[in-house]
Amino acid sequence: MAKKKASTLLAIMTAVAVLTGCGSNESGATNSPSPSNASSSSAKPSETQAAVKTEPFKLTIMANLHTPEVPSDKIEKLLEAATNTELEFQWVPDGTYDEKMNASFATGTLPQAVYVKNQASLIMLRDAIRNEQFWEIGPLLSSYPNLNKLNPEVLKNTSVDGKIYSLYQERPLSRQGIVYRKDWAEKLGLKEPTTVDELYTMLKAFTEKDPDGNGKNDTIGLTDRSDLVYGAFKTISSWYGTPNGWGMQDGKLAPEFMFPAYIETMKYVKKLHQEGLINKDFPVTSKNDQQNLLITGKAGAYIGSMPDVKSLHTKVTEVNPNALLDVHNKITGPDGNFGIWSIPGYGSVVLFPKSAVKNEEELKNILSFYDKLMSPELSNLIYWGVEGEHYTMQDGKVLPTEDTNLTDRETKPYMSIQIGGISSIPGFYTAIDVLPAKAKAEELIIQNNDFLIHDPSAPLDSATYTQDGARLLEMIKDATYKFMLGNIDEAGFQAAVDAWLKQGGTKIIEEFNASYTAAK
Amino acid sequence: MRDTAVRMVTKPNNNSELKRRLIKNRALYLMILPGFLFFIIFKYIPMGGLVIALQDYQPYLGIRNSPWVGFEHFDRLFSEPMFLTILRNTLLLFFMNMLFYFPVPILLALMLNEVSRGRFKRFIQTLVYIPHFMSWVIIVSISFVMLSMDRGIINELLVMMGFEKINFLMSNEWFRPMYILQIIWREAGWGTIIYLAAMAAIDPGLYEAARMDGASRFRQIWHITLPCIRSVIVVLLILKIGDVLELGFEHIYLLLNSMNREVAEIFDTYVYTAGLRQGQFSYSTAVGFFKSVVGLILVMSVNKLAKKVGEEGIY
Repeated sequence: MAKKKASTLLAIMTAVAVLTGCGSNESGATNSPSPSNASSSSAKPSETQAAVKTEPFKLTIMANLHTPEVPSDKIEKLLEAATNTELEFQWVPDGTYDEKMNASFATGTLPQAVYVKNQASLIMLRDAIRNEQFWEIGPLLSSYPNLNKLNPEVLKNTSVDGKIYSLYQERPLSRQGIVYRKDWAEKLGLKEPTTVDELYTMLKAFTEKDPDGNGKNDTIGLTDRSDLVYGAFKTISSWYGTPNGWGMQDGKLAPEFMFPAYIETMKYVKKLHQEGLINKDFPVTSKNDQQNLLITGKAGAYIGSMPDVKSLHTKVTEVNPNALLDVHNKITGPDGNFGIWSIPGYGSVVLFPKSAVKNEEELKNILSFYDKLMSPELSNLIYWGVEGEHYTMQDGKVLPTEDTNLTDRETKPYMSIQIGGISSIPGFYTAIDVLPAKAKAEELIIQNNDFLIHDPSAPLDSATYTQDGARLLEMIKDATYKFMLGNIDEAGFQAAVDAWLKQGGTKIIEEFNASYTAAK
Repeated sequence: MRDTAVRMVTKPNNNSELKRRLIKNRALYLMILPGFLFFIIFKYIPMGGLVIALQDYQPYLGIRNSPWVGFEHFDRLFSEPMFLTILRNTLLLFFMNMLFYFPVPILLALMLNEVSRGRFKRFIQTLVYIPHFMSWVIIVSISFVMLSMDRGIINELLVMMGFEKINFLMSNEWFRPMYILQIIWREAGWGTIIYLAAMAAIDPGLYEAARMDGASRFRQIWHITLPCIRSVIVVLLILKIGDVLELGFEHIYLLLNSMNREVAEIFDTYVYTAGLRQGQFSYSTAVGFFKSVVGLILVMSVNKLAKKVGEEGIY
C-alpha cells in the first residue's frame, strides 16, 4: 500500500519536475509576441508549397534583442503586409544569444532563419556548416536583384571553404581614429597630428605643458584600456604599417606579431608608458574608466572608434562646458604611408538550418523575403521606422525622434534583422548629425575606406587555430603587454613568439597558408 | 542514534525487517523524498553528461552521435605546457586559503564571544558580515580604485610617506596577498556565524567552574571554548575544502591579467579561455572533471585525517 503510494507520488513529482523543466525552457526560448506560437514554429514544406502563391508564407526568425523588452508588432505587421509573409520572431536577449542558439541547435529546434551574432560565433559554427547543417546560398544569390548587391568581398569573408552560406549585416569597415581635446591643442599651438611623431609631441605637450591651465601637473596625453584590438594598440600598429592579423612575408602568410612594425608599435607605446604620457594602468583599465579619464579632463586623447565622439562630447561638456573635441584619422608611420585596419565588413549574419528549411523551394521563398527586406523602402522601415512617427526627413536625411522610449519599443529591435547596409542599399537613409565632430567622424569613416588594411585570414580556416588559437594568442597578448610595461625585452618577446610557434603556431601558419593557396 | 545505525548496517539482508521499518517511519521517508529526488534529478542524472569528456562532442550531433575519442582530451590537458603551472597555482592558492583565511573567522568569533555587551556585539557582528553580500565585481572594483597606479589612494599614501609606488594590480608578487586579503575582507565576518552559534551552545557551567578554579580568560578559551567547537571546526574545514576548488572562478577571473597570469591562472579560468570561449565543450568537461577528481581526493583525505584524530567527519 505504502509502496504504491510512494511510487504514485514519485511519478507525479517526476512529471511535475519534467513539466516545470520544459516550461522554463519554453519561456526562455520564445518570447514571441505572435499568437500563432505553436502552429508556426516550423512551417511544413507541403503546406508552404501549396500556399505560397496565394496565402502568406510562414517564416520564423530567431534574432538577438538589444532592448530589454520585445518590440510591439507594429513594424512586424507592416513587414508582413509588404512581403506577403506571416512572420514570427523569436527574440533572444543579446547577452545570452549564443547559449540559446547552441541549445536550440543541439536540440534541433532552430527556426528557418537564424541570426549569428558576430564573426566569433560564426567561426564556432564552421564545423557544423561544413557538415551540411545549413543551406548553401551562394549560387542562388544572383537571381535576387537586391541580395545581389551584397559585397562579394564581404560575402567571401563569411564563407566556409569558399562556399557562401549566409547573408550579412553591414558594418563600417573601419571606424578607427583619434578623438582629442581640440581646445587643449589650440591653447598649446598644436595642429592635428599627421605623423606618429607629431602625435607623440602632442601627447607630451598634453602631459607636461598644463593644457588645462590649473597650474598643476595633473594631465596625461593618451587614455587607453585593456584591449589590444579596439583600444589604441592595433590602430597605432596600423599607422606603423603592421598587417591586420595576418600579412605576407616572403610570399607566405605570417601573423602580425612576426612583423618588425609590430615591435616598433610596442616600442612606441612603451615609450609613452615610460614617460607617463599614457595612463599607467592601461593593461587593466576598463572602457568606462578609460573614457572617464577623457571626460573628467585628465587625459587629452583617445584612440579608437571615432563615432564615440558623440557620447564623449555630451559627457565632457557636462564636466567642462568649454571643452571641445575633434576627430582625426590620417596619421602616418615612419614610412610616410597611412593605413588603417578593417573588420571583415559584417556584423551579424543569418543562416538557414536544414533541420527547419526542408527543401530548396522553401529556401527560395525565404531568400525572396530577404530580397524584399533589402529593398530601400523596407530597410528604411526596419531601421528608422515610420516617417512622421519615428523620424522626420530634412534635406533628404533622417532626423530621428528624441523619444527613445518609443523607438526602443517599436523600431530599435528590428535593426538587428537588417541585411546589407548603407553601401549595398542605394536609397538607404542616413541620419543628420547635429554635432559637427560626429558628422566629421562619419566622413572620416568613409575616407578610411580608401586606406584599409584587410585581414587576409578572415575567410581562411585552420583546425589548430579553431582549437587552440585563442589560448595561444593569449600568450602573445601577455608578452605584448609585458614588453610595453618593460617587464621583458625584445629577446623575451621573441621567446614568447617561439613558444607560440612551438605550441601550435607553426601548424596554424601551415594550415592558413594551405587554406590560402586552396582558396586562390 | 548510533545504535540504530549500527543495527541497520548489520542486518541489511533482512528484508521484512527493512520493510517493517519503512512502513513504520513512512512519514519520515516521505519527507526525505523531495530532497532525494532533487539530488537524483538535478545532481546525479546530469552527471551522465560527463561522458562528453570522452567524446568529440558536437552540439548538432548530440551525445548519442558524437564520435568517441577515448582519453584524447585528457592527453591534451596533461601535455599542455601550462598544465603544471595551473595545477601549482590552483593547489597553492588553495593551501594559502586554508592557512591564512580559515583561522580568521575562528579568531574573530572568539573575540566577539568575549564581548559581553549584547548590543555592541550584535552591531559589530552585523558590520563584519555585510561585505559578504557584495559581489566580487564590486570588491575587485573597489580594490582597483584603491590600488591603482593612477591616483590610487594606497599608492598616493605610499608616495606621501616617501616610498615608491607599488604596482599591486599587475605583479606576480602581489597577486596572492591581494587575493587572500580580499577573501578575508569579504568572508571572514560571515564565517563567524556558525562558530558563534556553536559557542552559544557551550554549557555556561563549564566557564563558571573554570573561573572558580582561577582560570584566566585565555585559559578558558584554550581549555573550554576551543575543545567544545572542535568538531564544528573540522566539519567546516572539510566542507570548505570542497568549496575552494569550486568557487574561485569569478574572483580570480576579475583579478587576472597579462601581468600576473603566471601565478593567477587556475583550472576554472583555463577552462574558460581555452575551452568554453572556443566552444570546446568536451575539452572543458575533461578539465573540469580532472579538477573535481583533485577536489574529491582532497576532501576524502581530510575526512580520513579527521576520523583518525577522533572526529566525526562528514560521512
